[in-house]
Amino acid sequence: MGKRIGASTRDLIITNFVAIVAGLVLSGLLLLLLDINPIQVFSSALTTLFTDRYMAAEVFLKATPFIFTALAFAFTYKANLFNIGAQGQFYLGAVAAVSVSLLLDGKIPTPILLVVVLASTLVAGGLMGAGIGFLKARYNANEFLTSMMSTYVALAFMNYLLRTVLKETKGEYPQTDALSEAAWIPRIVPGTRLHLGFVIAVVTAILIWVFLYKTPMGFRIRAIGSNARAVELAGINSRKIFVIAFLISGALAGAAGFTEVNGVQRMLIQDFNPDIGSAGIGIAILANANPIGIIFASILFGAISVIGTMMGRMPGINVPPSIVSIIQGSVMLFVITAYYVRAIIGIRRDKKRLKREEA
Amino acid sequence: MREEVKGNWSEIEIRNVSKYFARVVANKDVNFTIRKGEVLALLGENGAGKSTIMKILYGLYQADEGSILFDGKEERIANPKDAMRFGIGMIQQHFSLVFAHTVTENVILGAMRGIIPYAKAKEQVESLASRYGFDVDADALVGDLDVGVQQKVEIIKALFKQTTLLIMDEPTAVLTPQEADQLMEFVRQFVADGHAVVFITHKMKEVMEIADRIIVMRDGRISGDLRKEDTNEAELSRLMIGRDIVAPEKVDFEGRDHGQLGLIVENLSLSRGKVKLLDDIDFHLRPGEVLGIAGVSGNGQEELCETICGIRAFDSGSIVLDGVDLSELSLREHIDQGIGYVPVDRHRDAMIGSMSLAENIYLKFSTHDDWNRHGLIDANNLRQKTLESIEDFDIRAPGPDVPAGNLSGGNQQKLILAREMRLAKKLLILNQPTRGLDLGAINNIHTTVLQARAEGLPVLLISTELSEIFALSDRIAVMYKGRFMGIFLPRELNTERIGLLMAGIVPDDLAHVADEEIRAEVV
Repeated sequence: MGKRIGASTRDLIITNFVAIVAGLVLSGLLLLLLDINPIQVFSSALTTLFTDRYMAAEVFLKATPFIFTALAFAFTYKANLFNIGAQGQFYLGAVAAVSVSLLLDGKIPTPILLVVVLASTLVAGGLMGAGIGFLKARYNANEFLTSMMSTYVALAFMNYLLRTVLKETKGEYPQTDALSEAAWIPRIVPGTRLHLGFVIAVVTAILIWVFLYKTPMGFRIRAIGSNARAVELAGINSRKIFVIAFLISGALAGAAGFTEVNGVQRMLIQDFNPDIGSAGIGIAILANANPIGIIFASILFGAISVIGTMMGRMPGINVPPSIVSIIQGSVMLFVITAYYVRAIIGIRRDKKRLKREEA
Repeated sequence: MREEVKGNWSEIEIRNVSKYFARVVANKDVNFTIRKGEVLALLGENGAGKSTIMKILYGLYQADEGSILFDGKEERIANPKDAMRFGIGMIQQHFSLVFAHTVTENVILGAMRGIIPYAKAKEQVESLASRYGFDVDADALVGDLDVGVQQKVEIIKALFKQTTLLIMDEPTAVLTPQEADQLMEFVRQFVADGHAVVFITHKMKEVMEIADRIIVMRDGRISGDLRKEDTNEAELSRLMIGRDIVAPEKVDFEGRDHGQLGLIVENLSLSRGKVKLLDDIDFHLRPGEVLGIAGVSGNGQEELCETICGIRAFDSGSIVLDGVDLSELSLREHIDQGIGYVPVDRHRDAMIGSMSLAENIYLKFSTHDDWNRHGLIDANNLRQKTLESIEDFDIRAPGPDVPAGNLSGGNQQKLILAREMRLAKKLLILNQPTRGLDLGAINNIHTTVLQARAEGLPVLLISTELSEIFALSDRIAVMYKGRFMGIFLPRELNTERIGLLMAGIVPDDLAHVADEEIRAEVV
């Protein structure tokens, strides 16, 4: 038994590594088509990543919201529910963050303000999630569709506010005023943009793991995901669990609004981080919805994102900005393929071992 | 036109065939011969590899090692179409019929191309049916037919494809005793016509009745290849199980005076549309008594269990357990009343295969305060209780943390029973608790049932296995179309009588008994 687990961990590391390399090679080939030397571009990007403290910190900065949106997807996924609307819940979180910050900054001390803002983002995202869960529980509405469509509602709502009550005092662009320093999340590495939000994200991931695997409610959520009828027959109301799972999921996505508004952008602008919801889905799948795995997968995606940004800024080389999406997409494709390859390798190995034992 | 059928072989040899699934050896070095004019019984417990070896012959699986020879010539069977070309037909345990189509349409499915000469096909179907004495309407929709008739459609379907070797996988599982006799009659006639039959079963009685030759399988291997006249049931069961099984002893519950205690069900009815799922059910199940409910499955047994357990609402009547009216209680409150329930389909209703043994036990206790501590699952306590269950119920598992789905069916069932016995303080309901299990596990479960009875628990036992009903029950009810055909003492019934009752007919010599009230005075 122990030997088999060892082998499967080895498989996991090797196949994922090969998948990531394959994704990079594929995007490198596309660079070749543009007459750009991919080896030169990648090696220069990687060198910067490992030598420049600022750029290294950027990786963790980018990973922070990914952790939250990936946790949001993973959480409902454990209950075999699909929250595709993390993007919308993030928008509402961002709106809550900027509104509360603008309203209260300077009036109460920073630590208390930040806690209040964080709480408001949890409530904003959580309410939106709970609404989706309620529609599922009460009317059996397909949560995949309602959560996806809710993103557009949230987006329109945010844009409406940015053009009306939240519009900057200058009245020029659809964006809010900048937050004063009292509402900024403190930075943890001097000389970089990395802020405390990353630590909060990691701690959250660990807490979510504890919740899912060590508490009765977490157990019920996972059990519902595996066999809802058996859970119902054990006398547990699955509808209530749908609402709770979506509430927590939405709150997690809302928290990304806190880290991005108060930690990075320090204001809210139109078209704010439009891809972190979808990236979260991919990261959660990559990590097999394991909260701890999500931390590492998010860092990987943060790195890809930073590498892409650096490549776009390299002097003398005209790398199109869409290359980031291509790298992310192809890495994802290979990582998911690797999942199936692992399954096949595992079955082959078991069969071989059986034959050997029987012989 | 149909393809040429090469069914004129006289024997098929299965030589050194092995088949490995990811974690189990399904077949290992299997060798035997199938001959024309012979009924070959494949006898073995569930999971012994009987179906697998036949699925290899039928082209549904590919062997990892070994070969299949027709009259000494090796042939490759890549899919069922190849198998049919050699005249091999197989009737699976789960039929492959299209319910919305007529009998004729089902029979010709896959055997025709271009424009279908329906009238001609219908004629052929009718002539095949009459030749073997099957009473089947060629124009009837298959979905409207009883299971027994559907099986005949499957047989006609095979015959239509000029089958010379018919493989039947547990064919009597869905039949009443009378229908099973008809099937045996067909098998004899078919073989007398110079064809071959492979009869897969785990029932000794059928083997002794029908087989010419018997292959016994155990753990994927052949443990015996015998002629019927050279063997007996004792030898076969030894070959099949590998050890002797001691039947559990019946000890009666001491306190017999319990008044209105136990489960009292009165005038219980439930309809879905115009169909009566439960039709005026009345009975009083006393502490320390096992009430067996016999019947072909699908006659309301599951609905009865589920209404008593609070899973399903009912239209009228009452259910009272130890003086408590259950009708107003929620599902959770039903469970808390002390009802243990082992449903017929554990994978659907009772178990989470991907979760550990401990988590499966915990499933029904997650809301109980004494199973949790400081808001967390009390892991030590849970582990302790799981180990207890593993010990007490002889669950063969590497430990409490392995996924329940990795266990054999028998051990999974013991796990569910262990959990439900923790809950069953006032009532135990078992719906076909030993379906598909090996004899060792069956014996184990029967012991638990009789122990519960001896300790004074009322037990409602639904089963389609008559031997089980007779072995365990104090009284026997027969269910047909949602109705009790009567409640009887075991000595009042025999296989023939119970068979008729299962088909909805009250035998003349029992009419006076069935008409009586719920026979409350009889214990």
